[in-house]
Parts: sequence; structure tokens; C-alpha cells
Amino acid sequence: MRKRFLSLLLTALTVVSLTACGAEKPAVKTVYAMDTVMTLTAYGKNAEEAVAAAEEELYRLDQLLDRFAENSELAAINANAGAPTGVSDELAELIALSRHISEKTLGAFDPTVAPVMDAWGFGGESPRVPTQPELEVLLSTIGAARIVISYEDRPRVTIGSAQALDLGGIAKGYAGGCVKEIFEKYGCTGVIDLGGDVMLAGKKTDGKDWRVAVKDPNDPSDFLGTLTLSDCAVVTSGIYERNFTEDGVLYHHIIDPATGRPAESGLVSATVVCADGAYADALSTAAFVLGARGAVSLCDRFGTETPLLELLLVTDDGRVLCTAGLDGIFEPNTESGYLYEQLS
Amino acid sequence: MNNSPKLTPGKYDLIVVAAVLALAALLGARFWLSPAPESGTLLAVVEIDGAEVDRFTLAQAAEETRTYTNNGVTLTVAPCATVKRDAETRTQTETAGVRVVSSDCPTQDCVHTGQISRAGQSIVCLPAHIVITLAGADADYDLITG
Repeated sequence: MRKRFLSLLLTALTVVSLTACGAEKPAVKTVYAMDTVMTLTAYGKNAEEAVAAAEEELYRLDQLLDRFAENSELAAINANAGAPTGVSDELAELIALSRHISEKTLGAFDPTVAPVMDAWGFGGESPRVPTQPELEVLLSTIGAARIVISYEDRPRVTIGSAQALDLGGIAKGYAGGCVKEIFEKYGCTGVIDLGGDVMLAGKKTDGKDWRVAVKDPNDPSDFLGTLTLSDCAVVTSGIYERNFTEDGVLYHHIIDPATGRPAESGLVSATVVCADGAYADALSTAAFVLGARGAVSLCDRFGTETPLLELLLVTDDGRVLCTAGLDGIFEPNTESGYLYEQLS
Repeated sequence: MNNSPKLTPGKYDLIVVAAVLALAALLGARFWLSPAPESGTLLAVVEIDGAEVDRFTLAQAAEETRTYTNNGVTLTVAPCATVKRDAETRTQTETAGVRVVSSDCPTQDCVHTGQISRAGQSIVCLPAHIVITLAGADADYDLITG
């Protein structure tokens, strides 16, 4: 008798537990940092701990990498322009990587473009078109080659006396990589959305790759298609964010460091798929500035530095250009009206 | 070799079987028959400072504009209507999405975002720390880049 009721209890508990075997609930956290809103989604036994640790990491990086943050190391470098400033190993390494990418993109990505960006005022209350003489003065301050990093008792960074460093073109991607490492440390998989810059940690709980929809730059409420991927970053630079219109002309925020004006490369968006978040972030800007022909050379120049580097470019004449490595990964939206071509 | 005793189901065995089947049927019915608002129906979820403050279907959005205030910023969310024609060419209007129609934030990025109409799309007002995200419909993607 007792055994039978015991078996009933066990069976009932089993049935009840099975009903809880639906889709695993993720831990989700919204974080405001780096002048954007980020969404962290983690799956796994320690998901809550992972997103909590990731949130703290994002606040730490925001403080480290924000040139406007009071007492940030980056603000100290800018305030001390022309003289060496002691910084942490981490910041020195990221500045060194920025300088390296700037050199290899022939200046298409440049972390010293900040004075020009400030003149345009993108994202502020009063964006405006600077005069050409004003731009010419500011252009003379641009050049990552003038950044000097020395290593004595600690790393020291020196920039030109009229220069200012802004790591906004690489910081979010770098942060995505840091969060991915935290997810992995806690044994979690998940997705990190840093204001549209995406980092994928592992695969989905069903073992499949994540599906990432790519915004149509000409109609951001629609999609160009979908990428099916895992364990990598997907970053897009497009004309549709942080722009303003003056006298009927749209001015977007992706500045060509050679002209000091919004890049006119024939592209309206550039999406980079890359194993490394920092590279993905910086190279999406570089690809946009360089245009289709120049962007494809990035795969050759950086291919040995990162195991995965693919491009998806949208031209202003209605074409979507993909590198060959996205075959079978990018699924076009056939109703979008674009011509889809392979980039070679 | 020992012979196994012959097992004959008794009254209590039948009670156990019946109870388990009844419990399974009850839980199954709850799982399969209960409405699932998270699936198929597009919902607008409004978060302020990362905490959910409102959740409504697009049909509910069509009934009224909604106003949210935070950090000294007030924004107004309204439905976006779309016109469809049925087989007999009679017009039908349905709510396709939502948008921020006005905001007193300095950047106006939330207003310039325009309409959102697909799962995963969001409107962000950074100065107000307000995010409106569409969720719930069955989408064939997990997130959006761009």
C-alpha cells in the first residue's frame, strides 16, 4: 500500500516536472551604457549571474572608454594632449589596436576624428554643417600615426597637442567581446545586442545557429535578409542612424577622415561578420568609408588576423554585395527589390 | 531458479494508473488549450530604466495613444494603421505597428525611428531611458543588426 502511494507520488512529480521542459527561459538585462541601450540575453544554469557580471563589466568599460566621462583614462589622455599620460594595459592595448586598424585601412577608420565629429554635432541637440575652412583646420589634427604608446613602468599614451581620441568606433565591439567571454566563463550561451551591434555567444539551446536579421538601410523597418551564424560579431554601419537633413540634404554620421564630411563611397550600409567584436566594429566603419572596391581588400589585409571576416554591403544603386563566405549563411529577402551579387 | 510471483493488478494499481492519467490529461490540457499571448500575437512592450511598465497588443494600441514620462522627457506612442483590401475589394484597416509621434527629448531620435511593425524591432529614447519593443509574434530570426 505504502509503496503504491509512493510510486503515485513519484510518477506525479515526474509528470509535473516534464511540463516544465519547454523552451529554457533566458536571463535578460537591459543596460544603458556607451551612449546606447544594450540587451543581454543569456541561457544556462548560471545565466542570472552571467548577465549581472556582464552588466558590471559594461559599466566599467563605459567609464574606461568614454572620453566625456569624468575621471576616465581616455578623458585624461585628451586633457593632457601633447604630453604622455599613464594608462592601464587594457586601454593601451585597445588604442594600439585602433592605431593598427587605422594604418591598415589607410585611415578609413581613425580614432582621432573626434574634433571633426564634434564640429558636426551628430547625436547632439544642434547638429550643423561646418564650414569648409573650419573643416580644413580640424582635418590637420587627424592622424592615428601621431599616437605614441610607450611602455616603461606602465603604458603611456601621447597624442598630438590638438588631437582628441574617441574610441566610439571600436568600443562597443570590444565590449561585446568582453561580455561574450563572461558568458563563456559562466558556461552560458546567448546574444548580446549593443545598440544594433550584435555578438553571438555559442549556439542556441537547441544546438542550432542564431538567425540575425539585417536592417534594410533604405527602410529600417524592413530587412535585407537573414544571417545564420554562431560565435561571432555582426556589426552594421549605415546612413539611417544619427543623421540630420539641412536644405534637403541628408548628412549621416559616418565621417570620411580624408574629407571631414559624411562618406560618399556609393554605400548606404556595410555589415561585417567577424570572429572578433573590436575588428567587426572598426572594420564596418572602414568598409563604409572605403566603398565596395576598397572594402573587399579588407578581407585580404585582415584575413590573417581574424579567423572569420565577411562583408555584406548595400550600394546606393540598389545592390546587395556579399563576400563568398556568406554563401549558405545569408538568406536574402526576395521581396526587398534589391539585386543580390557576390563581391569579388 | 526462482519463479517470479504472478503479478495481478489490484484495486490500488488501477487507482494509481487512473490518477496519473488524470493528472497528465489535466496538465496537458492546460499546456495545449490555454491561450499563448507570447506566440503569434504581436505585443508592444514598454520599458523604462530597464523595467517593464506597459504591455499591449497592436489591437489595444489602436484604441488610444499612450504617453510615458521619465527623466523629464514625455513621449507619445500611437498606432500605425494600414489599409488592406479583402477579396470583395472592401477595405479593412488594421494596426500594423506603433511609432513615437511626439517627444520633447532633445535628439528626437525616437521620433525619427518611425514605425516598427516586426518582432524584435524597437524604438529607443536614450534621454528618457524608454524602450518600446515589439515581441511575441513567431519570427524566423532571433535578433536584428543595424
